[in-house]
Amino acid sequence: MIKGKGMLGVGVFLLGLALSALGQQTILIRNGRIVPVVGPVIEKGCLLIEKGKIVRIAGDIAAPADAVVIEAEGKSVYPGLIAPMTAIGLTGYPGAGDDLDEVGISVPQMDPFDALNPEDECIEVARLEGVTTVLTIAGTQNVISGQSILVHLDGDLAGDMLIKKNVAQIFNLAARQQGKYPVTLPGVMALIRDKLNQTRRYIEARKLMEKKAGAKPEEAKVEGMGEESFKPSPELEALVPVVQGEVLVVFVTNNEVTIGNALALIKEFNLKGILYATADVLAYADQIKERQIPLIWAGTTNVPRRWEASDHNFRAGSILARKGILFAFDQLGWGPGNRNVRNLPVPAAHSVAHGLAEEEAIRAMTINPAKIFGVEKELGSLEVGKTADLALWSGSPLQMRSRVEKVIIQGRIIPPESVQTRLRDKFEKIVRERRSKPGN
Amino acid sequence: MKKIFASLLAPLVFLVCAGLTQDLALRGGTVLTITQGVIENGTVVIRNGKITAVGRDVAIPAGVRVIDVAGRYVMPGVIDSHSHIGFSGDDINEMTDPVTPQIWMKEALDPWEDSILKTLSGGVTTVKTMHGSANVIGGVNVTIKLKYGSPVEEMIVPGVRQQLKLALGENPKRLYGQQKGVLPSTRMGSAYILRKAFTEAREYMERWARYEKNTAAGKKDLLPPKKDLLMETLKMVLEKKLAADCHVYRADEIVWVINFAREFGIDIKQLSHCVDGYKVADVMARAGVSFGGWVDWWGFKEEAYDGCPYGFKIMYDAGTNIIINSDSDDEGRYLNLNAAKVLKYNDIPEAEALKMITLNPAKSLEMEGRAGSLEVGKDGDIAVFEKHPLDSTTKCLLTIIEGKVYFDYAKDSQAAKEASHD
Repeated sequence: MIKGKGMLGVGVFLLGLALSALGQQTILIRNGRIVPVVGPVIEKGCLLIEKGKIVRIAGDIAAPADAVVIEAEGKSVYPGLIAPMTAIGLTGYPGAGDDLDEVGISVPQMDPFDALNPEDECIEVARLEGVTTVLTIAGTQNVISGQSILVHLDGDLAGDMLIKKNVAQIFNLAARQQGKYPVTLPGVMALIRDKLNQTRRYIEARKLMEKKAGAKPEEAKVEGMGEESFKPSPELEALVPVVQGEVLVVFVTNNEVTIGNALALIKEFNLKGILYATADVLAYADQIKERQIPLIWAGTTNVPRRWEASDHNFRAGSILARKGILFAFDQLGWGPGNRNVRNLPVPAAHSVAHGLAEEEAIRAMTINPAKIFGVEKELGSLEVGKTADLALWSGSPLQMRSRVEKVIIQGRIIPPESVQTRLRDKFEKIVRERRSKPGN
Repeated sequence: MKKIFASLLAPLVFLVCAGLTQDLALRGGTVLTITQGVIENGTVVIRNGKITAVGRDVAIPAGVRVIDVAGRYVMPGVIDSHSHIGFSGDDINEMTDPVTPQIWMKEALDPWEDSILKTLSGGVTTVKTMHGSANVIGGVNVTIKLKYGSPVEEMIVPGVRQQLKLALGENPKRLYGQQKGVLPSTRMGSAYILRKAFTEAREYMERWARYEKNTAAGKKDLLPPKKDLLMETLKMVLEKKLAADCHVYRADEIVWVINFAREFGIDIKQLSHCVDGYKVADVMARAGVSFGGWVDWWGFKEEAYDGCPYGFKIMYDAGTNIIINSDSDDEGRYLNLNAAKVLKYNDIPEAEALKMITLNPAKSLEMEGRAGSLEVGKDGDIAVFEKHPLDSTTKCLLTIIEGKVYFDYAKDSQAAKEASHD
């Protein structure tokens, strides 16, 4: 009995340790402009965080005794930004290795969690500018490129960062290969169809053999399989939840043809598809709306083609919003290997310059990506009960000159440091001292 | 009679005005002069392509076309001193030898190339469009006004020195040493290549000087030295008829190339991709070499790992001439947005951020006498923005070069194109 109590005590103690290790303090943000993203802006309000969650939002909240109080007068509180397609964690410091894109045309079994490096310096650089959550993908260069994970940009170990595994499989409909099948777009389509057909048969075969052999499918023979016994396939196994509609598929497209192909595949195999588009999205806007297919719009910073107006891609966001399409922004840049995930607001700013409402633009970096990846109950807005991922801004995130003055991830106040602030501090001193020497 | 006269005169007036398309007045805007502060409700008058008046109470001469820009922001045309636009073919890198100064980029320039139009949409009026960074000594870059569709010779900015492209660091090492097994495969190799080429150019100059001296002295039957097109360009650099731009990332190489240029008497005006510039900001300032680079690009390759957007304050305090470049068809369209980013990471005056895309590049291109600010006597190169150019939700409405409108949002936009389909 005494022993039991002691264990409980130790348990509580350990829990306390764990919470303090995570830095999950009670935090009161006071007198800030609170932009919940869903619902109206509170021009002057308070927000209370306990154990990593938002527990209260009100005009005035008395500070609990143990609370860290952040005065936010004149500042704006926004939910953390969510970047929907990154390689954060997979491309570390030089020499640490670049683990994006495994060799192979179809590698759905690749799980970026197996390469996630919490020391990747992109993590600190991105979160200092208000990005708190990212989708990290296994790659984009293969037709079937692998899995993706949602991670918080905070945590000592990979497991501390993880929000959700196997969020979406990445299919790239423009990933023609060089000198090996498939080198054409129809080849890409045929390869995907073949893999999905095989997966369907794999599911059937496994079912039949389980029926015959009970718990030992590998010992059973099934008509139609010839002499082969059932061989578990890591590749097809990874596609089973895709075919069964349990895992999302992000279709990477780069023009009208590949968007059309993505829409065809989603219908043909009844997949839970998300469209990732870098061009031509308006051509299919009505269909995307009608079929309620979520969209990641990464074409804003794509230079329009010769025959297109200079604002062709800048304007798309306003039209997508007007049609009521659920979309999130991404920036094309150098693709998912881009280290400047912090520039997520750039496409949003361009879109607002060309007609998109500011609130819609903010949603397309917060609650919309949360909805697209099915985590809108935990992330993407400032609401009671949600994870405390947020940032204190000097102005609108759409203004490049706005500064992020405080970042909180899962209730932890993030130290204002990155490789770049360290370089700044080091060389500010070195240059200043050299300049002050006589003769300079 | 009067009426008949007027109707006869009207087409004549029209003809005269059409002929003088380079006369223009922008009336009633907020004028960001860059060098002489901000003028609310100001007017800029351009005649024959040159600015003739800037101010609040400015008389607009009769017959000059007037554009009302009330509520808009008028600033000097944006200058991008590191671009690769205007080349329609695959002509950016003569990637066959690490030393190719015989290459002149103006000979690849296509005045109808679409990237020129798209860049105009960001208020850009001048670019230095460049050879790539494959070769230690690349080609001669060309500084042009974005006069889309004009003959090449009319696009080239007259009276400024063009700049030879040099490149250090990983690119030449990778393309030659690693891929072809020839020099350079190390930074020492690149240094050797530069030293060797310019040493030979000195000897070449001496040979020609000797020959010309002997000819002038009346000596007969002399065979002139062999004309070498590589050496001819390097000779122009040593004679300071050409300046130079060097692609360099690392601080040690920045210092190295500054010393090298001093040793050989080469005018390096700008260091491009200069991500480590802040580490040696004082050295650059003393040498009078401009920083050319991005605000926040970093880590896309090993030598770019220390890119630091906070470094602008260090450079500003040290007096380095700071230039924001695009090196990108995309970002060349919104250098004003990149200028705003400088203010996110650095406590620097707002006016200084705008200089980084106007006056500062004009200085490094040696054309500050004709561009980079709104002053009487300078070229009528102007960008009109809907909101303040440092507001990230603004857009460029007009781009004007020497008084002529080259981009007009109202005509070029998607909305305009859709309307024309109806």
